[in-house]
Order: sequence, then C-alpha cells, then structure tokens
Amino acid sequence: MAPAEVPAVTAGVGPKETVAFRKGTIDGRKQLTAKEREALMDPYLPRKASPAPDGTSSRLKQHKRKEGLLRTFIYISVYRIVSFIFSVFFRFRRSWRLVTGKAVAVLKHHHRTPEFIQRDVKHLERLPKHLSVILDFDESDENLGHAGLEGLTSDVCEIAAWTASAGIPLLSVYEKSGKLKNYMPQLHKHISQTLEAYFGPRRKPTLSVRAPHLQSYSPPNTPPLNASPDAASVSPSRSATPKSENGHLNVLLLSSVDGRGTIIDLTKTLSEMVQKGAIEPSQVDSNLIDQQLVDAVSDEPDLLVLFSPTVQLKGYPPWQLRLTEIFHLPDNKGVNYQVFLRALYNFAKVEMRLGR
Amino acid sequence: MDARGGADESRATILANGSPENLRSLPRAGSKLRVRNWLASSPPVIWGIRQLREILIGALKQGPVPQHVAFVMDGNRRFARDRHIETVEGHSLGFEALARILEVCYKVGVKVVTIYAFSIENFKRSKHEVDALMAMAKLKLEQLSEHGALLDRYGASIRILGQRELIREDVLVAVDKAVSLTAKNKKAILNVCFPYTSRAEITSAVKTTIDTYSKPLGTNPPPLKRPFSEKRITQHIRNQMLSAVPEEASEQPTSRSNSPSSLKESNGTSSSTSTAVNPSEKDEGQHPDPAFLDPETITEETLNDNMYTAGAPPLDLLVRTSGVERLSDFMLWQCHEKTSVVFLECLWPEFDLWQFLPVLIEWQWQQRKLQEQERGRGRLKTE
Repeated sequence: MAPAEVPAVTAGVGPKETVAFRKGTIDGRKQLTAKEREALMDPYLPRKASPAPDGTSSRLKQHKRKEGLLRTFIYISVYRIVSFIFSVFFRFRRSWRLVTGKAVAVLKHHHRTPEFIQRDVKHLERLPKHLSVILDFDESDENLGHAGLEGLTSDVCEIAAWTASAGIPLLSVYEKSGKLKNYMPQLHKHISQTLEAYFGPRRKPTLSVRAPHLQSYSPPNTPPLNASPDAASVSPSRSATPKSENGHLNVLLLSSVDGRGTIIDLTKTLSEMVQKGAIEPSQVDSNLIDQQLVDAVSDEPDLLVLFSPTVQLKGYPPWQLRLTEIFHLPDNKGVNYQVFLRALYNFAKVEMRLGR
Repeated sequence: MDARGGADESRATILANGSPENLRSLPRAGSKLRVRNWLASSPPVIWGIRQLREILIGALKQGPVPQHVAFVMDGNRRFARDRHIETVEGHSLGFEALARILEVCYKVGVKVVTIYAFSIENFKRSKHEVDALMAMAKLKLEQLSEHGALLDRYGASIRILGQRELIREDVLVAVDKAVSLTAKNKKAILNVCFPYTSRAEITSAVKTTIDTYSKPLGTNPPPLKRPFSEKRITQHIRNQMLSAVPEEASEQPTSRSNSPSSLKESNGTSSSTSTAVNPSEKDEGQHPDPAFLDPETITEETLNDNMYTAGAPPLDLLVRTSGVERLSDFMLWQCHEKTSVVFLECLWPEFDLWQFLPVLIEWQWQQRKLQEQERGRGRLKTE
C-alpha cells in the first residue's frame, strides 16, 4: 500500500531503517532476524553506555573528556538560547491573547442582562446540564478588589447569574480550600441579589445552595417548591427539576476534601463493613463506588471551565472527571464572561465519542 | 504550529509516493517533491537532523525535567481517515510515533512514561480493529523479547497496567515474557495502560485496600487503643437486655453495622442476612473477635500504594493529542492535583520531538516561574 510509505522526514531516521521498522523486512526479503535488527539499531543507540575497553591510553581519555566538555557547553548554550527565544515568544503570545481577549470581551458583553446571554447561547445545539468551574481563593492583594472571600463571592455570583441566564440547571463551584462552605447563608443571599439584579425581582429564578455533607440552603422566602425539602435528601442532579416558570438554579460547592478524601472515607466505610461481615468484598465494584460518590458529592459534570492560564486540576474530585469536557483559555487570568461563553461554544461543537 | 507543516509535508509525500497516474498528472510538482524527498532522505541530511535532535535533547536536559509523563495517544484513526489509509495502518504509524517519543523522553531524562494504549471501552470497536491491535501488540512485544542483551543495557522496564483478565491468552504470554525480561531494568519505566480505565484502577485500589484490611491479623491482635473492650461492653449490655427483651439478637446487628442504608438496594437484603448470622456465630465461637487493621489508618498513601502506578513519581505532565479536551478515564487519580495537562491539536502519528519540544519548554518555563514565586513567598515570610 503506497501511502504507508510516508517517510518520517524529520525523525532523522534513514529510509532503509524506516522501512525495516514498518515492515520488518529490507528489500522485500524475509523477516529480519534479531541479530540483523540489532545491527540496524546500533548507530541510534547512545554511545556512552557501550562498555569502554580498559586498555585505552590516557590521551584518548583526555580527548574524550574534552569532547564531553564541549558537548555540555553546546547543550547549555543551546538551552539558554532556546529558552530565551521561547520566553520572549510566550510573553508576546500572552500579550497578544490578552489583547484579543479584551477585544472579544468588549464585543460580547452581557451588560448584566439575561436576554443578551440568552441570545448568545440561543443557537447552540447542545448545552451542558451540569456545568462546573474551578475558582481560586486569591490571598494576595495584587488585583485590588478581587482578592479574598469578597472577590471569590462576587465571582461565584456572576457565574451563577450567567449559568441561570443560559438555562443550565446545575452549577458546581470547586474551590480548593472550601472556604465558601462556611458562608453558605451569606453566599445564598449574595447570589440571590445578583440574580435579582440580572432578572429583576419578578422573573428571578429560584436558587438553592448545597455542599456535600452539609444542609442545603434554600430559605423559605424562595417560592415554596419541592426543591427546598428535597435538595438535602435527593441526589443533586435529580433535585434540579422543580416546575417553576422562572427556572431553578442549583449551586453546589465543592472543595478538595470532596475528591480523594471522600474516596478514602468510602474505602474506610467499606472496609469496616467487610470486617463486620456486612458485605462481601466481591460486592464492591465500580458501580457501587460510583453510586456512592454521586450521592455523596455529585455526578459527572458535562463541562468544566477553568479560568486559570493553564490546565491544572488542583484536586478536583477525580472520579467525577471521567468524560468531562475541560475548557480553558490559554493565558487567561480571572473570571470573565468571555471564557464562559467560549466554553459553551466549544462544548456545543464537540461530538461525544465514548469509545475514544 | 509545527503540526500543520508536518501534515502538509506528509500529504505531499503521499502524493509523491502515490500511484504513477498521480505523478504523471502532476509532473512538475511531482519532480520537485521527489527532489525534496531525495534530499530529505540523503545520508548527510539525515545525519544533520539526527545531530540537531541530539543537541536539542541534550539542551532540554539542562533544565528541569518532568519525572513522570503520560500520553493519551489519540488520533490514529482520524489520521488514517484523513489520509485514506486503513485504520490499522494508522495504528502502526501511531506506534512509530510512540517509539520516537519514547526515545526523546528517555534521552531527556524522564523516569516514567505512562501511555494509554488501550481502553476497556475500546473493546467496543470493530472486531477487526481490536484483533489487529492485539496482533500488533503481540508482534512488537515478541520482537522486543528477542533482544535480551540490548534490553539489559538500554531498556526500560515495561509494566502493563490494567485488567489482565481481559487480555487474550496468546497476547498475555508475550506480555508476560516482555515484562519479566525487563523487570530488572532500573533506569526507566514504561507503563503501558492496556485494557485500562481509571475508574477500574481506583476500584481495584479500593478493593485491594479492603482486602488487606479485612484479613484477620492472626494470633496476636494489635494492642488496643483504649483500655475498654467493645466486646465486653456489648456483652454486658446484652446480658442486661436479655432479661427484658428476648428478640434482642435480631436488633443487635442494625445498631452495629455502619449505615447499611447507604448501600445499593440489591445489596441491602444480603447484607442484612449476613449480619444477622454473624453475631450468633461469634457467640458460639469462644475465641475473641478476629483482630483487623483499623480502617481509620487508611490514608491517601494507602490508596496510592494500591494504584497501578504505585511507587512512580507524581505525574508531572499529561499530554493528549488530537485536540480532544477530555481525560477519557485516564489517570484520573494521578493527574487531578498538580499535573500540567496539555491538549494538543496534532494527531498522534504526527507527534514528534518538534511538537513535544514546545510543550516541554513551556513546562520548564512554568516550573521556573513557580520556583521564583515560591522563593518570593519564602522571602516574604522570613521578612
């Protein structure tokens, strides 16, 4: 077959060797023997590992050492040059991305109006049912007004409002330290206020704020829906469908303890049960673990949006990440609407392929 | 950046090597390409590229080097589809890319490379493709096993991570031979994830942990943490209750077992029966309760040690090709903390040093920035 003859031009391997590698033969002969293959390989193997004969004269050794020094010198200088060029390139690329990002941000702005957001996502064929974001607790006061708990809260509020506007029923917010979990009532109040600012008091969607192992927070002043009593007992994904004309938004707060910690806790519980004879070890399978983790933490998010410049998951619950689409905007820093919107666009385009 | 250039080039070479009609219809372009091809495959050029690669690799070595790199080798099939070659052909070109990239990794100084060779989900593909993949794995492993001396000198130790029981018998033989042949190589490790999914891995780690913790410790039980014996307390209570409530035995297990309601329904019935039987057995047997390891001592380390990647350094870098931004059930436990995850647009068969170099350099750059930050923070703290 002709097309298979693509030579690996930039691999630095000769055509003879390439053919040998692909077909195991040279010049259409029979299969190569192990010896012949080794002979072919020889020039490509690292030299230094070959056992040096002991009887070499000292002059040859000196010569070798000189050559080695020269090589290291070349390596170090090439390393310096290459990393310098790339660091310049990276910086330029970052500023370019920042500029284009700002341009897009000006063109596409939500103006705190749900209609604008709805218009932006209207033609998307596929929206995530469960959106997840990773946020950072920013301790430093570098970016004024956006540090600490206050900044984090306002980020969550904005994202929640966008999510509600886009019509996504479940938003999970991962923040490593879990500080938000200590302020659930306040957070609920803040998000409600933001939603009111976006939607107006009459069209405001109802809201419940939950966290694993904590009482869900849906105060009585939200319309009397089945959400408030159910949210604590029913799994999060199911409780997200109260019939309200304004829609309902579930906000789920996650932190690093909901990741490995929860799996460890589950292992402890299961071990204890096996020790007591309550279950057989053979009954433990991935379905059982999945069920337990979905009940205790959350199901798999469809889309995970990172607002960080690179992809680092920072301890996000691992079990839930299986097929989640991960979106990040390279070199982006901080929460903004543009990333949110681009993530949704990206998600709508991608076809779901389960078997890779 | 390089990906597109590489793709064009390979497409061009396909043209050049294509059927003779093709060449005749494009005589000019054909001859130009042929000259280029001839030049590219001439010994001095190959030697030059070889040297350039060596120098670049040697240069990369001067900076921080990731200790553990994982690859999701995605895009073989799309590569084949785009170039109108057979899927199997795409896979074997993918294997070639793997060989190239392994050479780069180990020469740069990466200690552990983990590759996603075959997912449990992949068994759902056409039988033809699965069989061809298995045959390829078998052939390559068998060829590898013929080079015992070379492997000892240069080889990495190969480990197969995944559900062994799903591997075909004849392939398993080749796998075991290659694994045992390379087991003593200490320089580097190649983890081949072969029928693997991360959830299966986590599940098996949980199960192994449970197994270790549910084995009775034998004759000498560990010293009790507190001076009170649970058993004597329950006995005491039981003696008191016995006079009042005769059906106490059936109530006992529900209060003892740890929230069986959290179990699946299907398990609910069996668990209640087994618990009901258990205490009576204990009562009959005169010897004390079998001593177990305390489940509270299960930590992250315990599970880590039971993962397939036990003992490997933490995953520094995970690269997925073909532009799909998903983990697809790979290394979930290992990559969800500090790992840099990189998604590349190029397809796996196109992947080479030229695509990997920018990734590595960016990683080194980030690493240096992190170090600077930490140093800065340290200075702040001391001040």
